[in-house]
Amino acid sequence: MGKGIQQNTFDAIVIGSGISGGWAAKELCDHGIKTLVLERGRNVQHLVDYPTMMKEPWDFPHRNNLTQKIKEENPVVSKCYAFREDAMHFFVKDKEHPYIQEKPFDWIRGYQVGGKSLIWARQTQRWSKFDFEGPARDGFAVDWPVRYPDLAPWYSHVERFVGISGNKDGLETLPDGEFLPPWEMNAVEKDVQKSIMNHYKDRNVIIGRCAHLTRPNDIHLQQGRGQCESRNLCQRGCPFGGYFSSNSSTLPWAAKTGNLTIRPDSVVHSIIYDTSKNKATGIRVIDANTKQATEFFAKIIFVNAATLNSNLILLNSISSRFPAGLGNDNGLLGKYIAFQNYRGTLSADVDGFTDSYYYGRRPCAVMMPNFRNVYKQETDFLRGYMVFFSAYRGNWGHAVNGEQMGEAFKMDKTEPGNWGISMMMQGETIPKETNRVWLSKEKKDEWGMPLLSVSVDYDENDEKSLKDFLNEGSEMLSKAGCKNISTNDSKQAPGLDIHEVGGVRMGKDPKTSLLNKWNQMHQCPNVFVTDGACMVSTGTQNPSITFMALTARAANYAVEELKKGNLR
Amino acid sequence: MGVILPTAFLSVDVLFSSCNPDVEKEEFTKGNIQLLDEIGETIIPATSGSPGAKAAKIGEFMKVYVTDCYTPEQQHIFWTGITKLKDMTKKKYHKEFSQLTLAQKQAVLKTFETESVNTPNQKQANGDAIQTGKGVENKEAANTAQFFPMIQHLTVFGYFTSKPGATEALRYIQTPGSYEGDVPYKKGEKAWAT
Repeated sequence: MGKGIQQNTFDAIVIGSGISGGWAAKELCDHGIKTLVLERGRNVQHLVDYPTMMKEPWDFPHRNNLTQKIKEENPVVSKCYAFREDAMHFFVKDKEHPYIQEKPFDWIRGYQVGGKSLIWARQTQRWSKFDFEGPARDGFAVDWPVRYPDLAPWYSHVERFVGISGNKDGLETLPDGEFLPPWEMNAVEKDVQKSIMNHYKDRNVIIGRCAHLTRPNDIHLQQGRGQCESRNLCQRGCPFGGYFSSNSSTLPWAAKTGNLTIRPDSVVHSIIYDTSKNKATGIRVIDANTKQATEFFAKIIFVNAATLNSNLILLNSISSRFPAGLGNDNGLLGKYIAFQNYRGTLSADVDGFTDSYYYGRRPCAVMMPNFRNVYKQETDFLRGYMVFFSAYRGNWGHAVNGEQMGEAFKMDKTEPGNWGISMMMQGETIPKETNRVWLSKEKKDEWGMPLLSVSVDYDENDEKSLKDFLNEGSEMLSKAGCKNISTNDSKQAPGLDIHEVGGVRMGKDPKTSLLNKWNQMHQCPNVFVTDGACMVSTGTQNPSITFMALTARAANYAVEELKKGNLR
Repeated sequence: MGVILPTAFLSVDVLFSSCNPDVEKEEFTKGNIQLLDEIGETIIPATSGSPGAKAAKIGEFMKVYVTDCYTPEQQHIFWTGITKLKDMTKKKYHKEFSQLTLAQKQAVLKTFETESVNTPNQKQANGDAIQTGKGVENKEAANTAQFFPMIQHLTVFGYFTSKPGATEALRYIQTPGSYEGDVPYKKGEKAWAT
């Protein structure tokens, strides 16, 4: 073997360094597997490359708001709540990465080492047995090839390392995990919790579970991470490593093993398939800056580029064996893309509790696991939604009565206002063949990659689910004594939830799925897909912890298969 | 956090049909920035516990924010209001705004406050003016009716996110260290800045 090829040959290649790619790298490196991580974006080193992490509100020229110019140049990403002056540099700019919206779709991306694990919302909930059973019971998508007991030990495995705070609530619909101490509810939230649980015996209100070190264990200190300090400025990158990201946790850990090579600025063009060997042998990379093409080789490949990016790479991996994309004998690659329904919100006023306030900034809300159609189909729509809510006192922005200028006005503004509450939904949606992505035949980006066309839309089920949430939310708040309850449908496009999944779904049958129960491509078993693209259904939970668990499970399986010689 | 004004009922035609050349000429001169400091200080004055908007350099803040973050429509409302305020002050008091007594400054701003869209009657009048397409005066009335809520919001937002505002008028802690959900609160204690 020539020296050039030898230098470019590894045991494993991981495409993507985000929340699931980082986990693939960590697990593989922990088991002595020489691993190359290819990241299309620039390097972001923990602490060193967080330019805004210690800035004060007045340090930002526009006090953390976006300028008109930025909004005009970024009509898509400027809709994202986290795309503000303090974290803009961790988001992809619309102009630099065009895509084709056959139907409105807000594609929010973070292309840098760490990916969206730098800017994610850190909310984490395990799937329950009901979620894995959903497609089979309700007759949509295909049956998941795994069940909750298959994932449970892997949820535990990743939770211990990541550090998840939560309370052991003992609920079937949201299994407990390996928890660090939970965050507190405030006085109004406790009151609303009591009301909801008194009025509705089948509904549960619990504190949010999230990837924050409320009390670091030894494993976290070994990672160089410390306690979360309740700043809630996470999207900037954390000086304490208080929340989980690839940058603070899995990547440095993998690097310490001596088995990791990470190559930023590496746009993956396609996976190389060797027809004579009946396997994938490597990756074609376009250098992000020089546009030069290079090839890297490995025995196994993990595809963790993020849902739509993984679809794009596989669709672009054309060979005589796979003219329609790697592993795509059944034509389903890129189809059954789904997302989560975020359209409904409520807000209300809360009287009283003026002798109570809070200290610190909590990085999670209060939540309600799905209570719809849990044991059987009961409503006029399939599946259900999680509910998140939080209560707060008015800050300097609250309206004051009386004088609208002067000393009394100022003094009124400097005190906290009355309490308010806001509530949102996270609804499961039904994957459909017609919700899909495909490659443009004519249009290419500056790296010569075909642009992705996206056609994803809401359906009648989503409209009914939304309506149900707004009705139930209103009723729950009303029974809790809240006033001036208002409901809102944001009518936001799919994608702004940033929970898009599917296109390379798992399943038992190679005729109706792309991956087996170990996330291996049915038709190309040395390629594993463990990011959101692998999901059969969406569930109601925040998906990232499930991506991490699936990845750790698949990576450990891959290692076993390498050791046995089944993959080589 | 940014200004959210009810611009839905103000069409672009209305806003750009102003024939007041004075409005078109206005920009953030040293004089105008000083005027904005004075306006800001009138809305949020120095008090015993904390400085006012002037110490927070509110005029400089407005220059940056209005230039970079306002739409052309919002900028037009801003300058229409400033122009009218300067004209009104000259006509009534034959002085610059900065030379007025506190009571006089407040009276000038109160004229705008009364016109503001926050009163239902004025909302209706403004809406009628737009729909019937009446003369320039009514369209200008619609613009200046938005001026007080705008200048009040700019002052409040710019002040309470400034260093003196956040750290002296409010309580600001970059790194709280912990979260406590239910802490006793006594009237008069300051709100958290963030």
